[in-house]
Amino acid sequence: MTYKDPFNALGDPTRRKLFEQIRQGPCTVNELAESVSVSQPAVSQHLKVLREAQLVRVEKQGQRRIYHLNPDGLAEMRRYVDEMWDDALRAFAAEAEKRAKSAGEAGE
Amino acid sequence: MNSMKAIKIEPVRKELKVRLTKEAAFKLFTAEIGTWWPLPSHSVGGDDAQTCYFEGRAGGRIYEVMSDGREAEWGRVVTWEPYDRVVFTWYPGRTPDSAQEVTVTFSDFPGGTRVELVHVGWEIRGADAQTDRDGYDMGWDFVLSNYVIAAGA
Repeated sequence: MTYKDPFNALGDPTRRKLFEQIRQGPCTVNELAESVSVSQPAVSQHLKVLREAQLVRVEKQGQRRIYHLNPDGLAEMRRYVDEMWDDALRAFAAEAEKRAKSAGEAGE
Repeated sequence: MNSMKAIKIEPVRKELKVRLTKEAAFKLFTAEIGTWWPLPSHSVGGDDAQTCYFEGRAGGRIYEVMSDGREAEWGRVVTWEPYDRVVFTWYPGRTPDSAQEVTVTFSDFPGGTRVELVHVGWEIRGADAQTDRDGYDMGWDFVLSNYVIAAGA
């Protein structure tokens, strides 16, 4: 849908699961790795995608990396959907008006 | 449903009026979607997208067809109530288990029809959240969780 990154990022089920975890509260990488049945490197790769999609952000506490939800990422997804429906419904309204006009001209 | 959500994202709501009967408006939105949906800018295939379809029944598919014949599914009809209401899942370019949900209602208005659209589903379900303990089908649990979110607004 020429969807921006947030939707692509969430197109993977493992990434969605990681995102849901982080959404429930800040998580360390270890906690996240334990919650999914993929390797640690794969988890890191997934987290990178989520970071780049701006859905999560990482905080370094000494040796630990803690992942937090980025509320702006969800707001960005919503903005995209909002604009999509503006565009689609504008086209719908234009076609509806075309039909209404020609029905009127046909003397119905 | 966990109750720890600090982040609440409001549903997307749109409303417009058209100078058509409810029946004509409903049919235009659904069966005749191919006559108006802006495919080049809003499709999986972009410039390769040729047309799109909205199958008029519960469980019906909403999808595009590209110039090489490939199809890309956008969603499925959940509720089909001509000419009052249609509810469908929405996951273009994604998979059904990451679906959001759209409800479009059609109501009489002097001179035409009021069309209202509500798009919900900022709850992203995890991969293993297929059924809950009571065995509720994931689709209904998804719908219920969205209503809970809306009610808590």
